[in-house]
Amino acid sequence: MITLNVNGQAKEVDVDPATPILWVVRENLKMTGTKFGCGVALCGACTVHLDGKPIRSCSTPVSEADGKAITTIEGLAEEDGTFSKVQQAWVDQQVAQCGYCQSGQIMSATALLKNNSNPSDEQIDAAMAGNICRCGTYVRIRKAIKTAAGAPSETQEA
Amino acid sequence: MKVVFRASALVLVTTLAACGSDPAPEPTEQIVVREPGADVSDDAAPEPAGEATDSLVAAGKSAFNTCIACHVLEKGGANRIGPNLYGIIGQAAGSADGFKYSDAMASSGITWTKEELDSYLANPAAKVPGTTMMAGAISDGSRREAIIAYIEDASAN
Amino acid sequence: MADKQISKTAPKKGKWTRRAFIGAGVVAGGALVVGVAVRPGNPIDRLSPMLAKGDGEQLINAWVKIDADNIVTAIIPHVEMGQGIFTSLAQMLADELDADWSKVKILEAPADAKYVSHDIGREFLAPSLEVPAILEPTVGGTFLQLATAMNLQITGGSFSIRGTGQRAMRVAGAAAKEMLLAAAAEEWNVPAGELRAENSMILHDKSSKSAPFADFAAAAAEQGLPNKPKLKSPKDYKLMGKAIARTDIPEKSNGTALFGIDADLPGMKYAAVKAAPVVGATVESMNADTAKTMPGVLQILNMGNFIAVVADGYWQAEQALGTIEAKYSKTEGDTLDQDALFKRYATMLDEAGDKDGDVETEEGDVGEAFASAATKVEAEYKVPFLAHATMEPMNCTAWVRDGKCDVWSGHQAPLMARKAAADTLGIDMDDVTYHNAYLGGGFGRRSENDAIIMATRIAKAAKYPVKMIWSREEDTMQDHYRPSATSRFQGGLDKDGKAVSWSNIHTHLFDPQEAPTVPYYNIANHKIRKIDVPTHLRFGPWRSVDHSQHGFFIESFVDEMAHAAGKDGYAFRRELLAGSARHLAVLDKAAEMSGWDKPLPEGHGRGIAFVPSFGTIIAEVAEVDMTGKKPKVKKIFVAADPGFAVNPDGFAAQMESSIAYGLTATLFGEISVKDGAVQQSNFHDYPILRINEMPDVAVEIINGDHKRLGGAGEPGLPPLAPAVTNAIFAATGNRVRELPLSKVDFA
Repeated sequence: MITLNVNGQAKEVDVDPATPILWVVRENLKMTGTKFGCGVALCGACTVHLDGKPIRSCSTPVSEADGKAITTIEGLAEEDGTFSKVQQAWVDQQVAQCGYCQSGQIMSATALLKNNSNPSDEQIDAAMAGNICRCGTYVRIRKAIKTAAGAPSETQEA
Repeated sequence: MKVVFRASALVLVTTLAACGSDPAPEPTEQIVVREPGADVSDDAAPEPAGEATDSLVAAGKSAFNTCIACHVLEKGGANRIGPNLYGIIGQAAGSADGFKYSDAMASSGITWTKEELDSYLANPAAKVPGTTMMAGAISDGSRREAIIAYIEDASAN
Repeated sequence: MADKQISKTAPKKGKWTRRAFIGAGVVAGGALVVGVAVRPGNPIDRLSPMLAKGDGEQLINAWVKIDADNIVTAIIPHVEMGQGIFTSLAQMLADELDADWSKVKILEAPADAKYVSHDIGREFLAPSLEVPAILEPTVGGTFLQLATAMNLQITGGSFSIRGTGQRAMRVAGAAAKEMLLAAAAEEWNVPAGELRAENSMILHDKSSKSAPFADFAAAAAEQGLPNKPKLKSPKDYKLMGKAIARTDIPEKSNGTALFGIDADLPGMKYAAVKAAPVVGATVESMNADTAKTMPGVLQILNMGNFIAVVADGYWQAEQALGTIEAKYSKTEGDTLDQDALFKRYATMLDEAGDKDGDVETEEGDVGEAFASAATKVEAEYKVPFLAHATMEPMNCTAWVRDGKCDVWSGHQAPLMARKAAADTLGIDMDDVTYHNAYLGGGFGRRSENDAIIMATRIAKAAKYPVKMIWSREEDTMQDHYRPSATSRFQGGLDKDGKAVSWSNIHTHLFDPQEAPTVPYYNIANHKIRKIDVPTHLRFGPWRSVDHSQHGFFIESFVDEMAHAAGKDGYAFRRELLAGSARHLAVLDKAAEMSGWDKPLPEGHGRGIAFVPSFGTIIAEVAEVDMTGKKPKVKKIFVAADPGFAVNPDGFAAQMESSIAYGLTATLFGEISVKDGAVQQSNFHDYPILRINEMPDVAVEIINGDHKRLGGAGEPGLPPLAPAVTNAIFAATGNRVRELPLSKVDFA
């Protein structure tokens, strides 16, 4: 048995310690917001936070999470469901298309803004270049990160 | 204008939709190891990874499972997403034949001693900023030690 | 009573009339319901038990439902793969119905033949066929039969809005409103003309009476069917044309949106698969000695054309699969590599010469016109195979038991998926329930049935629910690819630099049929031919399908002709489009947005390209910086005329998306074959555009004809590659004739 701390809750799982965090979260804990994209840390769809830092959960064994806090997309909103600033910016800027990569995008963006409250275009590109979006929502991702950072930006009609 | 419509689009749609009415064939070979929920028998399951092992190399072999998605560790083995790691200890960084390294790695000037490998594996992005090795950070020092021991052992074969 | 109503209103089979779009029937409980469909026939009897589930809910028609709480549910016969179609189609229906948008719910139609989208079938079969009105019933009827027989319920061809939206969703909304108004007029005993609908209410201004739609739902069912409900004109639109927020975005921002890969069942197990690397080969033998001993492994299957490992967890299955050594049968494809394939194309094009090949369009005498041309231009272009690389790898969950089957996946044609599962098992379609989820990217890939068939076969062998997931490597190596292709041109210019002949021969013709043609350009003599070249790789529709390569071929060659004529690419295209006001407006807009005549810094260039496709006219200007080692695409200006943009923000998003998808292909998209097998496997050798490579995108929409709507999902892609390569030519004089750009040394 391994005890994990996921989104502030203790969870016990009976898995091989070499199992990537991605599959433990998806299959054992039934939290499917974190996605499988490439299996080798090339696309970022599986991004979660380990002690606040973005990691690729498809290539990080669950043993690495021992004694650390895992945060997944399901852990970003308030308990009453109120979206985090980044999530709300994603809605305001109408970012998602197919939506499959967006959990990973939002996790990377959240980590970026935690360290840098007002990132430049270059800093956004550098922090987000590990996350592929096949629908090409990049223009809106840039806008949404700036919206979440509090920079003035046009928003969509609701 | 003379427009000639060929049948190819029709063929396309027909191909998309048409499935033979005969059911698909059964498996040519079906190995049932066990039924779901059945007890795992002793001979079917090897010792679970992560249990106490009798040698550092054996522990390293198990821990290396994290790496095999991207790296092979065999003489002459093909580079995958990451370079072949056979014989890496003692080599200069960025020197595996035929692998396209990041500029950062190619110009890092590192020689892979066990100590250098250990500090790289602890945090690749901090050791070589700009490396394309996005995954692989291993915080547990004893796992790093075991992996490096396994790489050394496998490279001696 | 139901039968009587139906027989009165349902048209004869094979008839295609406006009236036939609307039918009626009675559901249990005595309420009459109205059905509107884009085909003859009556959907109601079988649909009602599937749709009317809540207490007090009544099915108003096949596309709209109003429940006792006055919630309007729009039933969408298409799938959501990122294009925002749920929202846009609901906008069209709700606008005609004058529904309160805040009380509109959206439901994906079940995978049922009653939702067969036969407009789609027609579009796939003869996309550019202009049918005289008098013949429409016959043609429609013919296509109906074909489409129904082939179980098309496809989302593709950028057709949802212009087909289903225009012909069904709007008609449904308008018809339902007329019936509600008629019922209210009867109940209140006032002339229907004095009533109006607004925000899901019926209002009688004279008496200040008002009541929700729901109050009249049952009585509306007793009304006669409107023969031809009146549709709004654009000045009366309340929802159409507005950038309404997409309804699926919140759940895609908090991890709760469910994709095919998220299916979960009690007792479900996981399968990893590996197919024979060369298509057509079979697994002759496998050594599973190690795999058998690995943790979590339940079954190891040689399925003939692929190997599957079923385990307690997906990672365990994948680990065990990796240890299996397999021997594959020899096939003819084993000796094939990419160079040999392009050589084969060249040989067959040589053999076709000036005369042979299938003629697609012909006008005038190209031979004579070219021979006597003052300036002759000739060029050959090549493009590689391309994979779709949807972010969600192919996957499918199936459970086969007691002669029945349930299937979960994300598919662009749910009915076809259902039929594929039934055929695989040799059971009736009625014994298969297909559950569709959000698609983690479609782009044409999810119109194929391979994953459905594989998962169904595994589940049948296992006898418990199994979720099959392809690795990224399988997804890349076992795609149905955009074909690689070669295209050759000869163009003639007269002494004034006016284009007088256009001759083209190219490999393959897939779909749409008009993709290689240029009917919008004024060139007196033209002839376009194709040859079929057999290859063992599977082809499939890839975003914008044949337009993806022909946009590059045609617009590169137009630029070469412009250069040979000593003319600017924009000015030359203006000449070719003379007299087509809508086309010119789009071209001019793109040039104006880009500041076409303004100088750029040294080493930078602008390129323009113009491609009408899927009913939408688009011109794009690319601005490229060539001062570094590799081309850097800085800005893309898009001018588009889709007739009328139902959701302008959604339309703009599709332009941005098409540019990212097209730029990936332009910069580095290449699937190559060696020894018959695809060489690429994951995002390290099949790279996808990343955020640092994404140009700025400016989009302007021209609503040029609100009666003829165009598509959004695909038409932004074809002009992108040639706009970029034309810009590279402008900056460097280097004419790129083969994609991707990563093959070209710009140093």
